[in-house]
Amino acid sequence: MSIKKLNKDVFKSFVDSMIASDQSVVGVKEKVQAKGNKFAFGPLENADQLRLDYDVTLIPPKKYMLPQTETLLTYEVKGESKQHVDEQKLILVGVHPYDMIAINQMDELFSQDEYDTHYMTRRNNITVIACDVVNASENIFASSMETAVVEKGFDILLTDLGKGKEYVAEAITEKGEALLATAVDATDADDKDIAKRSAIQEANKKDLDKHTLNCKPSELSSLLEQAYEHPVWEEKAKTCFSCGSCNTTCPTCYCFDVQDLVNWNLKDGQRERSWDGCLLKDFANVAGDHNFRKQKESRFRHRLYRKGKYVPTKIGGQVACVGCGRCVGACVPDIANPVAVYNRLLEDIKP
Amino acid sequence: MSKPRVAIFDFACCEGCQLQIVNLEEEILDLIGAVDVVEWREAMSEQSEEYDIAIIEGSITRPEDEERIKDIRSKAKVLIAIGACATTGGLNKLKNNFDDLEEVKKCVYSDASTMPHLETAMTKAVDEVVTVDYKVHGCPIEKAEFGSIIRSLLLGKAPEIPDYPVCVECKKNENVCRWEYGEICLGPIIRAGCGAKCPTASYRCFGCRGYVDDPNVNAAVDVMDKYGLTVDQLKSKMVLFGSKQGPTL
Ligand code: SF4
Ligand code: SF4
Ligand code: SF4
Ligand code: SF4
Ligand code: SF4
Repeated sequence: MSIKKLNKDVFKSFVDSMIASDQSVVGVKEKVQAKGNKFAFGPLENADQLRLDYDVTLIPPKKYMLPQTETLLTYEVKGESKQHVDEQKLILVGVHPYDMIAINQMDELFSQDEYDTHYMTRRNNITVIACDVVNASENIFASSMETAVVEKGFDILLTDLGKGKEYVAEAITEKGEALLATAVDATDADDKDIAKRSAIQEANKKDLDKHTLNCKPSELSSLLEQAYEHPVWEEKAKTCFSCGSCNTTCPTCYCFDVQDLVNWNLKDGQRERSWDGCLLKDFANVAGDHNFRKQKESRFRHRLYRKGKYVPTKIGGQVACVGCGRCVGACVPDIANPVAVYNRLLEDIKP
Repeated sequence: MSKPRVAIFDFACCEGCQLQIVNLEEEILDLIGAVDVVEWREAMSEQSEEYDIAIIEGSITRPEDEERIKDIRSKAKVLIAIGACATTGGLNKLKNNFDDLEEVKKCVYSDASTMPHLETAMTKAVDEVVTVDYKVHGCPIEKAEFGSIIRSLLLGKAPEIPDYPVCVECKKNENVCRWEYGEICLGPIIRAGCGAKCPTASYRCFGCRGYVDDPNVNAAVDVMDKYGLTVDQLKSKMVLFGSKQGPTL
């Protein structure tokens, strides 16, 4: 597959021609509300809106595979139901490596055991253009989590060689190759360009490190093995609002809640699913109103066990925190930082 | 099965919540198709003594209100409180912050304050006087939530009323957190269901839907330090809708 070089103008017309095609194109844009310093994925109207120099988006791109709320099916009470599957084709531009790794993890989770048609159909209709990080966000710790660079999952990977003047673009799938071929004025990248790209990626492996985990991610599982009764859970959860912001901003949280909404005729309705979060008070409510994680400290602990121990057993040991740092910034009382919790455990426990 | 008879009553309020029902627009025909509205002062002249579901808007603020609401309760099979005035006491509870209501009356009505119809007492939410079966929160209520609660009742199902904070809906809307602007947003302790209306419009949540079941108010106090704010500043933000508030479920 090819590795191309696109200068600023070639890149711009490449993006503009995607937008002009019959596929929907979404990318990272400034959040208007925030006077230019916050970013969100949204529909692109022109190439100038695309901000590949962003630091982090408010919520991760998982909303395109697992929307905040979606209709799963329409039903008749005591009758037939009809599945809703969204088959819209989409090009997703500007996914950072840590978010790409999170998507790769979700792809594994949603295709194992019970294959999730709703998620997987959306996913398979998305062409992902990932991009290496140019500006580190305030709380990123991808270096510690070994998620600063990504090798698979995307169709094209972009690397900005300097201030958006030149990009290296590598296609690794047929879809990516076909899309990149539409950038007709792109040249082949030479050894020097590829060396520059490697230097940027090597630097990111060290520099995306606003919080430093004092062990290897692979050691978290054995650390947590011994940490269930540690006082840190209560210490931290004391000021927890159970607001779930550490879930709703997390690229690897995928829990959802399903509800049937009946129409006014009381004869038919829709089944919807929407994001849920394990920190919310009613999350573990089961039939009969028993809540098996009633205490906020056990919910708080559950999330960090999920990231460091439970989910890794399902996906070949990969840690389900990719170090995006979103939860750190989103938590009003500032207790959600996984690194702070794991490091606190490391003071007392040898993994 | 005959359609359930519904009566809508108002107490001390601005009638904004009834207006939300009127604002259902096309859906109001669906509502009227599904139930039999037998009394509704804002929309019709008929009155009725016989109803299955009583919908109550407004707070209880006078002794005679207490008698009236008890009478309604005794006739209704199901009683639903709608809007902050009814569910928590809402804005009307501001006056409960004063010890001397005679003073309050004089300040508000001056010379007219002795007129008998201006008799006043401490504000009560409806459930401080009679049993309330369901609450539709908000100032004003959300039309969609009102509709779905009524439909659940018609199906004989308990309505789903969120017991998680506004932050959940706020994050789904991809808002920048108001705390990042140094504002005291009550979202983390207030019941969701409004779709995080205020933060989505770049304004802090001031708590109109009332607290979640188990609000971590201590945490709110603890975080004030982190943001260089004081507990008094927090309290001043909670007074508008949070004055002497009881449970909201
Ligand atoms: S736990 Fe926090 S830092 Fe880790 S992936 Fe989730 S949001 Fe990002
Ligand atoms: S974001 Fe913070 S306060 Fe909210 S649920 Fe998570 S840990 Fe608790
Ligand atoms: S809750 Fe608000 S909108 Fe509804 S009646 Fe009371 S003051 Fe008016
Ligand atoms: S703006 Fe308010 S409601 Fe939104 S996340 Fe922040 S604290 Fe929560
Ligand atoms: S954001 Fe807060 S104040 Fe605004 S409508 Fe919702 S609950 Fe009420």
